[in-house]
Amino acid sequence: MLCALRKLGLFALTLWAAVTINFFLPRLMPGDPADAALARLAQNGPVTDATRAAIEAQLGLPTGNLWDQYVSYLQQVVTLDFGVSFTYYPQSVSELVADALPYTLILVGLVTVIAFIGGTLLGVLAAWKRGTWLDALPTIGGSFASAFPYFWTALLLLFFLGYVLRWFPSSGAYSVTSDPGLNWQFIGDAAYHAALPAVTILVTSLGGWILGMRNTMISTLGDDYVTFAEANGLRKRTVALRYAARNAILPNLTSFGLALGGVVGGSLLVEQVFGYPGVGYLLFNAVINQDYPLMQAMFLMITVSVLVANFLVDILYGVLDPRTRR
Amino acid sequence: MAPSRILRRAALAAVAALALSSCAIQLQSRPDPTVGDDTMLIGADTGAPFFEENFNPYLGTKRIGVNYLFEPLLLVDPISGQEHDWLAESTEVPDPSTIVFDLRDGVTWSDGEPFTEDDVAFTFDLLQQVPAFDGTGIWSYIDSYETGDGTVTVHLKEPDVPARVIIGGVVIVPEHQWADVENPDSFRNTDPIGTGPYTLGNFTPQQYSMDKNHDYWQADEVAAEHLILPAANSDLDVVTKGYDWAFKYMSNVEGTWLAASDTNSYFFPPGGTIALFPNHTREPFDDVRVRQALSLALDRRSIADLAAEGYMDPASMSGLLLPNQEEDLDPSLPDQGFVEQDRDRALELLAEAGWTLQGDRLVDESGQQLAFTITTANGYADWLRAVQEVERQFEAIGIDVSVDQPQPAGHTLAQRNGDFDLIVSSFGGTGTVYQDFNNNLSGEFFVPEGEETGNNFGRYRNDEVDAILREYRVTTDETRLRELAWELENVFYDDVPVIGMYYGGSWGLFSDRKFTGWPSEEDRYSPITYMPSALLVLTSLERVRQEGDD
Repeated sequence: MLCALRKLGLFALTLWAAVTINFFLPRLMPGDPADAALARLAQNGPVTDATRAAIEAQLGLPTGNLWDQYVSYLQQVVTLDFGVSFTYYPQSVSELVADALPYTLILVGLVTVIAFIGGTLLGVLAAWKRGTWLDALPTIGGSFASAFPYFWTALLLLFFLGYVLRWFPSSGAYSVTSDPGLNWQFIGDAAYHAALPAVTILVTSLGGWILGMRNTMISTLGDDYVTFAEANGLRKRTVALRYAARNAILPNLTSFGLALGGVVGGSLLVEQVFGYPGVGYLLFNAVINQDYPLMQAMFLMITVSVLVANFLVDILYGVLDPRTRR
Repeated sequence: MAPSRILRRAALAAVAALALSSCAIQLQSRPDPTVGDDTMLIGADTGAPFFEENFNPYLGTKRIGVNYLFEPLLLVDPISGQEHDWLAESTEVPDPSTIVFDLRDGVTWSDGEPFTEDDVAFTFDLLQQVPAFDGTGIWSYIDSYETGDGTVTVHLKEPDVPARVIIGGVVIVPEHQWADVENPDSFRNTDPIGTGPYTLGNFTPQQYSMDKNHDYWQADEVAAEHLILPAANSDLDVVTKGYDWAFKYMSNVEGTWLAASDTNSYFFPPGGTIALFPNHTREPFDDVRVRQALSLALDRRSIADLAAEGYMDPASMSGLLLPNQEEDLDPSLPDQGFVEQDRDRALELLAEAGWTLQGDRLVDESGQQLAFTITTANGYADWLRAVQEVERQFEAIGIDVSVDQPQPAGHTLAQRNGDFDLIVSSFGGTGTVYQDFNNNLSGEFFVPEGEETGNNFGRYRNDEVDAILREYRVTTDETRLRELAWELENVFYDDVPVIGMYYGGSWGLFSDRKFTGWPSEEDRYSPITYMPSALLVLTSLERVRQEGDD
């Protein structure tokens, strides 16, 4: 109980630190949101002082000194009201995040879970059948695929499957004519549009899970209790899964917790390449436009979910491995 | 199978993949057959990645389609500089402080209501009440206005003939719709009513359509029945999906856009001058000999070729965009104001200014090397390529150059604050000679370093220029205006307030498959999709008759 309380206290402290850094980091960037908007406009034609004045009036830039801004920011964090976005004015931040989040949660979330389960199982198999083709194929294939940069795989898939062969749509989350809603037609259409980004993330992330699991599993397999279990004549599957894998999965589980927490951050490059309206794309736009309200809300969301995921994994660890409960 | 063999196969596969990706795959344009022959596909409005529905023409986050919905009183084409009477049938300047807009008869709003002087008055008032909407600052010129009998008469605070273009350039919205809007500054106008050639059709977050307004006052001039504006307009989309019109810089345009279809064409006229702005409040840039020397040290052709892949020309030191503004060019300027590289002359000028070559370093009396920083924006690849070439050319005459690349917002801030030695930026492109020079050189905008300004950020001050600009504001005589333009060009050429490098392009991509009459070398006007001047394109096109058409 004391242990859980101590963890909770640490959690609160980390949260406050993260929230504060969230506030100050964007403001350390040179220039303010009006400068960013002006820089964008200047690309399209001459801008004058009048333009700057109009933009400042439109954005309603933060007033008061940094301390006042910080206090009102803390109020926003508590009430979860982040105001209006600068980039997408007059859209509110909550509206924007609520629009983007489902796409990312389903795309990145689902793929992360699939990659974790599939990769871990393949890792177990590879370690168990060490030295055979069942080991070599997933291990080498996985590290080969994950060695490609994310965006490069994405661009290749997009170019060949999207533009040359035209088997898959080249951008968007659903067809232009499709009406978003909970019906099978829309879900099918959305899945079709999510296929290429999903494959990209899967292909590039699978290798990590396989290798992680395989390597810990191999060292576990050399332990005495595994030999003992084998000597006792237990079924091979029982030894592999109940004895070796259960102990070997701990490091992978930690990474899984982190990965799950990071899901809400979206997959920036993949979403960019495929024009997918998820959180990663939104975050990118928020950063290049110095959109403080949007950035704050999104970084907060990411930090909190990573912290919560970590916290949960910490608790889960205690359940899986009694030694860590002290 | 042994791992080593798998490894070998994997390596083979990788080589095959590389070979496949490096061999040229020629993409062909394959238009969507469901898009009709009377429908134009435009690459103009790019979602992020989806569209927000916002057709308020005064908001920075507006959809580009507002430019085809709403119209100004008069239009200036930014390329030809030509003024077109639009919702005003004529614009008179009885004296330099008064502008009379005589409104066109028979113009109606897309809901059938007549367009009157009350709408213009309402719009002017709106921009005064909501300063956030007054992006061109018309209320810094207007003292008062009055309406009557189909005219709007504007009285200016002080004589300023060129201001008619700015005031006349405001797009007009209907009073009968907007008068009821409670918070205009967050009004998204999702059901827009305009006077323009198109009305809003179907809106979805990934694309919207616009339909021809058959009661448009020049409906006969409008060829396309429908417009489609998709949210995704990547280079690959534009090349493969049969776009009719796009505004886009495309690398190797011959091998991509032109090669995709034999009806494709492009037109890249200069849209602005990419230049080095010296900070006139810092040494040694306050010395005209140093500025002249820096200008002479540049080989502008190689800079232009590197920066814009050979699509754009070196900039003339007349300060004009050539050949767009050829008519305004002083014929006595040598070689149309183009300055050739002359290192010997540059070194002579620098020696007069106190910098002599010692070995390969240019030093002053105390042995200090001439050193400065060039500031450019991170991520603007063409600017960076230009700066790297400039750096090389300056270093060749013994100057120690460093390059600073803040993010675009940081670059804008440095520019506004005067926190730079030399900064890369662009100027010109308004279409009028006066505006181009006034924005950049007028002493009225002078502020010391540390204070912010959006105009004349080089902090240039020259009484001669200010006198010419003042006279410009009160002059209506065409001949005198031309002489004044020539005088400005000569000051620019001799005093080098800004070091022009090369022209930034206005990137028009067109297809003659369904429509013809696009801007071209022979018919020079602006290919821009995202400004009111796009109305000129939409009213200049003609349908290409297909076989089987009657």
